[in-house]
This record gives sequence, C-alpha cells and structure tokens, in this order.
Amino acid sequence: MAVEAPGDLGRIVAELDLSRVWAVDPAAGREGSADVIVRDGRLETVTWLEGQDADGVDARGVVVAPGFIDLHVHLREPGNEDAETIASGLAAAAHGGFTTVCAMPNTDPALDEPGVLARIRGVAAASDSPVELLAYGAVSAGRSGEQLAALGELGDAGVVGFSDDGAPVRSPQILRNAMAYAGMAGLPIVDHAEDASATEGAEANDGFVATVLGLRGWPASAEVSAVARDLAILEDVVRDVPGARLHLTHLSTAGALDLVRLAKAAGLPVTCDVTPHHLALSDEWIAGARRWAWDASTDPWADGALEAPPYDPSLRVNPPLRSPADAAAVLAALLDGTADAVATDHAPHTEVDKAVEFGLAANGISGIETALGLLLAAVDAGRLPLARAIAALTVGPAAVLGSRSRRGRPGLSEGSPADLVVFDRADAWTVSAAALRSRGRNSPLLGRSLPGRVLLTIADGRIAFEAPGD
Amino acid sequence: MNLAAADEARQPSPTDVPVPAVDAAPHEQDVPWRHRHLLDVDVLSADDLELVMRTADAMREVLDRPIPRVPALRGSNVTILFYEASTRTRVSFEVAAKNLSADVVNIAAATSSVAKGESLVDTIRTVEALGARMLVMRHSVSGAPYLAAEVFGGSVLNGGDGWHAHPTQALLDLYTMQRQLPGGTVAGRKVVILGDVLHSRVARSNIWSLTAAGADLWLCGPSTLLRGFDAWAVHGAAAGRRFQVTSSIEEALRDADVVMALRIQRERMASGLLPSLREYAARFGLTRERLALAREDAIVLHPGPMNEGVEIAPDVAVSAQSRITDQVTNGVAIRMALLYLLAGVRDGG
Repeated sequence: MAVEAPGDLGRIVAELDLSRVWAVDPAAGREGSADVIVRDGRLETVTWLEGQDADGVDARGVVVAPGFIDLHVHLREPGNEDAETIASGLAAAAHGGFTTVCAMPNTDPALDEPGVLARIRGVAAASDSPVELLAYGAVSAGRSGEQLAALGELGDAGVVGFSDDGAPVRSPQILRNAMAYAGMAGLPIVDHAEDASATEGAEANDGFVATVLGLRGWPASAEVSAVARDLAILEDVVRDVPGARLHLTHLSTAGALDLVRLAKAAGLPVTCDVTPHHLALSDEWIAGARRWAWDASTDPWADGALEAPPYDPSLRVNPPLRSPADAAAVLAALLDGTADAVATDHAPHTEVDKAVEFGLAANGISGIETALGLLLAAVDAGRLPLARAIAALTVGPAAVLGSRSRRGRPGLSEGSPADLVVFDRADAWTVSAAALRSRGRNSPLLGRSLPGRVLLTIADGRIAFEAPGD
Repeated sequence: MNLAAADEARQPSPTDVPVPAVDAAPHEQDVPWRHRHLLDVDVLSADDLELVMRTADAMREVLDRPIPRVPALRGSNVTILFYEASTRTRVSFEVAAKNLSADVVNIAAATSSVAKGESLVDTIRTVEALGARMLVMRHSVSGAPYLAAEVFGGSVLNGGDGWHAHPTQALLDLYTMQRQLPGGTVAGRKVVILGDVLHSRVARSNIWSLTAAGADLWLCGPSTLLRGFDAWAVHGAAAGRRFQVTSSIEEALRDADVVMALRIQRERMASGLLPSLREYAARFGLTRERLALAREDAIVLHPGPMNEGVEIAPDVAVSAQSRITDQVTNGVAIRMALLYLLAGVRDGG
C-alpha cells in the first residue's frame, strides 16, 4: 500500500493509491484483494484482483472498508466539555474508523428542541472534522419522562430518532405516545431498555461475580422485562401508525435478544444494536480477569485467571458487563442478524467521576476508539467473520438510519464520495491515555494491545484521521 | 483480662511455620509473609493462615502479661479511617495498634473533609502526607480498600468494605474456633453461618477462610437473604471449596459444631426482603430449642453487634456455649498479629 495523500485534517484527498489491499464492500456483499484509487475526494476505481494478481494479499493484512457508523455516542457538549467536546469526540471517532456518529441528547441542556441541535451543528462545522454528526432528540422535555419533547420540530430539523438514553422512559403511556408521534415521520424511538425500579442501587450483573465481590446485583430481568414491554407497546402502536419504529440499543442479555428475534420473525418494525464491550468482555473482568468473553470459564477464582486488581471503576457501565453466557448470546445475535448493528455507547467521563469507588463511579466506557479492536479480537479468535463485523459497522446501522444519513448504503461503489477506513490487521497498537483522542480515558483496555491499527480514515472525501508517522 | 479459662482444650501446636518473636520489631524477623495489604482472605494460602494463627498465639501471650504491650511498632503511624459507624472493630484495631506501641490516628469520616465532598483518593493522599504508614479502613462501598491500596504507599488493612469482605473478623472467627474445638482444627467440623448472608461481608470472608481450612460449612437463612450463594456453592465445589446452602434451619443445625448467627437489620423489611423481624425471629432465630439440634458441646459465635431476641435469643447469647466475648479478645490478638506481619513486609521491602 502506498499512501500518497498529503495529510492535513479536513483536506480533500487529492490522490490515494491503495494497491493490493483486502477490500470489503458490504453493500455489494463482496470482499477480496483489490486496488483502490481515490482521486479528488472520490472513490475513482476499485479493481478486484484475481488469479496471480491476488497472490500474497489476504484478509489478514491491510483492509479497506466503508467508514463506520456509530448509532450511539455521547459527546457531552454542551454541558460537560471536561469529559468530551464535539471536536474531541469526532477526532476519537475518526481514530476508531468511524465517519458517521449519532449523538445522544443527554447533554446539558438536553437536546429537546431545535435550538440545541443548531448549536451542536455549528460547533461540529467549526471543528473542521469531516465526520458526519447526526443527533437524536430527547423523547421527553428535559428528559424528565413526563411530557413529550418537541418531536415534530426536532424531526423537521433533522434528528435521526428520539431517545431518553440513560433515563429510560418509565411511563408506558409516554412511550406509546412518543412511538406513535415519531412514527408519523417514520423516526424510531431508540430505547435504553431498563426497568429502573429493578436496578435501583445496582452495581454489577446479578450473578456469581457480583455475589462474590459483594456488589449489588443488576438483574438481567430488568432488561428483558423492559424489552418485552417496549415490544408489546410497539405491536399496539403499529396497528394505528404503520411508520412507528423501535430501535433497542446496547442489548446485553440472552433473554432480551431472544425476544427481539421472535419479534422480528413476527414482522414487527424493530431493530437493535449491541456493543463491542458486551460482546468481548464479561463481568469476570470486574473480579480481575482479563481474558475475552469467549475464552472465559465459569470461575475466574478457580483457574488462576485473576491478573488485575478487582473493582476497576472503568468497568462500571450501564447495562453492566454480563456473564460469559450473555456475551456469547450477544455474539450469536450479531451472527444471525438479530442484532442489526454494533454501536459503541461511547461514554467519556472525567477522572473526577471515574477515579472513585466502584459503586460510586459514573457508568460508561470510552469506547469508540477500541470498538474495531474488540471486534477484530473476535475475528482473530475465529468467532466472527470479518465481513459480518464490517457489515455491523456499516450497512447495518445505515439501514437503521435510512435516508437521514448522507451515507446511503455504505459500500465501495466507484464514483461516490470517498468514505473509507484503512486499517492493518497485522499491526497491533497499545491502548493508552496518550493514544486516545477522546478526552475520556475511562477505558478498561488501557495498557492492552489490540489488533487492527487504523491507518487512515476518510469522510466525505476528506481526511478525518491519519496515523502519525506514515 | 481473664483469658486463661477459655482455652484449655488447645495444646501449643507443633510450629511448622516460623513464628516471630513479637517483642522485637517485625523487620528484624525472618517471617514468610509476603502480603503488603490485607484486603480479603481469598489470597491467603494455608501457610499464610497458619502463620496468622500462630502469630496470634504470641499476641495472646502478650495480652496475658501484666502490661500487655510490646515495642514492636514504636514510632509507626497507624491511621484508622472509618467511613461507617463502628465501635467494636475500630476500638479493637486501636487497642491492637497501641499494644504494639504504634502511634494511632483515628479519623471518623463524618467529621473530616470527606463530609465536604473530598474524594477517597484525595483523602488517602492526605493521610499519607500526614505520616500514615498503615491504614485501617472501613467503607460502605464494596471494593473501596482496593482503590485505597492503589494510591497508598504503605499497607492497607481492610476493616470491612460494603458487603464484600471483613478479613480480620473471618480470621478471628477461625482463630476462636481453632482454640475452642477439640484437636484445635476446624477441618471436618460442621460450621453454620445463620442469617443475613446476602448483605454480610463477614459471611463472604468466612467462606474463603473456612473452606480453605477444610470446615464442613453451611450457610442458612431465608431464600431472599441467600440470593446468589447457591451459584457460588456450585462454583466453589468445582474448585474444591465446598459449602452447603439451605433454608432449612433444622438441616443446618443438626449435629453442628459451631453456629454463628449474623446480625439482621431493620432495613431488610423496608426493602421487601422479609415480612417482619418477628417472623424472622420465629423461623430463623437461634433459640435454645434450635441449638439443641447441634452437638452438645457446640459453640455459638456472633460478630456483633447483636439484636438479642431477633437473630439470637438472649439466653443463648450468654449461655455456657457462647464464645462471643472470646471473639472480642481474640480480635485484638488477630489484629495485633496482622499489623505486625504487614509492618514486616513494609519495613523489609
């Protein structure tokens, strides 16, 4: 591969010759050896190599794929710029290979009316980042769960859906009405499915690890029952409002994914995403184990797997890291298409909010820069085909967004604006505070080596990220 | 203190582990103890447990002296930082540290800058800057001492964290049982922990130490207060750390050698875990009639403070079978032993 593109961030890629790479085109359902040429910000040619030309090129080296789409990020601006700004969040996204992100509205003030949307769009434009910033509006005014936010006006202004993420709507009536109202515009309600009355004070997945560590149990049933409720309401609403849609984000339990599987089979307009951390990590990390979920046994105390101190607050997240069996169910849902997308739930926090007792730490993992690495760990382990991982980061989330993203159906079609990520599966990198572009250094992976260094990210024909030293 | 009567059953054990001469400073001794902190008992080996027990014997000997004090930790600052109300554990640590001639600083978190919102990490750095070399800590959040151990330059002793661990209590329980049981061992003896296991750091730490010592351990209580422990028992059995979980108090108490009742708190009714304390007392209270199911010479323990008439009947608490006051005295010896052993690691390395 030869990178000839000179690299100021935001500059249009004049010429880039990616020869003899492994290209993945999820829109066409094709992957293979290829020469990829970008000129003047457009994907000029993709030449698939065959026979002897393809010798020595395989999926284990440099990979070119459409830029990734993240359905779930927290950019913290306005209101908590110490944790993240729109500029730092978009830089982190590009470092992770993402060229489109969908920001949650739990800012301060909340994004519950169009003025806040205009403000964050202005900040994003000023950042010169070419990464596409999309946003959800709040379901309820002030995210209080009591009165509908300005759903119609927000829809007109261009939000891609509505969510009270982090403070899930408790009232079934409000949720029902929001689904119906948003359904007029065909926009989804994006629900963080959690029955909060069942998780009051909860600290860690209700299971063996929490029992031993004396952490208050966070039951799987709190997610399963919320999903069951949401699906039942959706079924009611779509009879009247055919455009109503439900997207369930960061599902973490086998039971919830089973319900979605059934609902999809029944034809309900529901989609869902899962996170890289619920797929690759499990609750035994809180005890101090540091092995991938698919390598976990049932008892880290018994088999000498404890290598780090317990209670690392960077592992505190909502929903919590689950059992290895749940992580296996998350992976299975991704494989069989029950999960439409991988979303990171990128949740940057300050040291002040995270370097505290486990039970007092803020929930969330700064994860947009490590998502690809975690998925590639699953690919390397033979658990996940590379093409499926890429699809879950591109065409999967694009289908959830529909026409509200400029991305359409992400692929490698010649003549389209270049929107690409280039990463090297053979090149590992070490996660460190210095390596992260996010202001949130709250990652349980600090100090760990991950496969698949991102070399270059191009969004809308412009450079979004370029690895230093190339 | 009158300690002589309690331990006739125990003979001085053959010393497989080199027991330190506790009149001398710990760093002058060659003691095979490698743990800088005491955060839980799960990391202690059988040899570690034996060393703690034998060092506690030496401390019991000190306690029997007319002036129960040795100069071992002279000049060393032991800071006791409690984020939760406690009388017996705090005073026990204080007496233990003073018996070793340490300088003791007591901080009740409610009266410190913690009440103004200072973080744990800042508080630990402050007490270290003020000269603390050993930090005894109690905290209501499980795992808090592990955070303290990451930032503190000396040794951290966990004086109880949330529901998680209370290692000195588990060690003094083991010590008390060993001194009281014929043969001086809990191996093969039926030990019952009765009551609110779910919220109990005492029960959790005792699971590690008693299974390591080979006891036939039983946990008993209403199902709401045993949540999750069946799964632990299954894992434990697979790992060679066997214990039983039951809500049948008759099954648990039958032929028991040791019965330890746990404190039941009034809040448990408000959170819907129990219908009433009256019903709890009627079904799970340790009464004289129930205790009759156990062996005739069974001993009764309680980590305190007791709710007499709820988890334990008043006549059982003061009966000839009760070793509850021995636990208190042994607690001082165990804490002296641990302060001593940990100080040796710090000074040595």
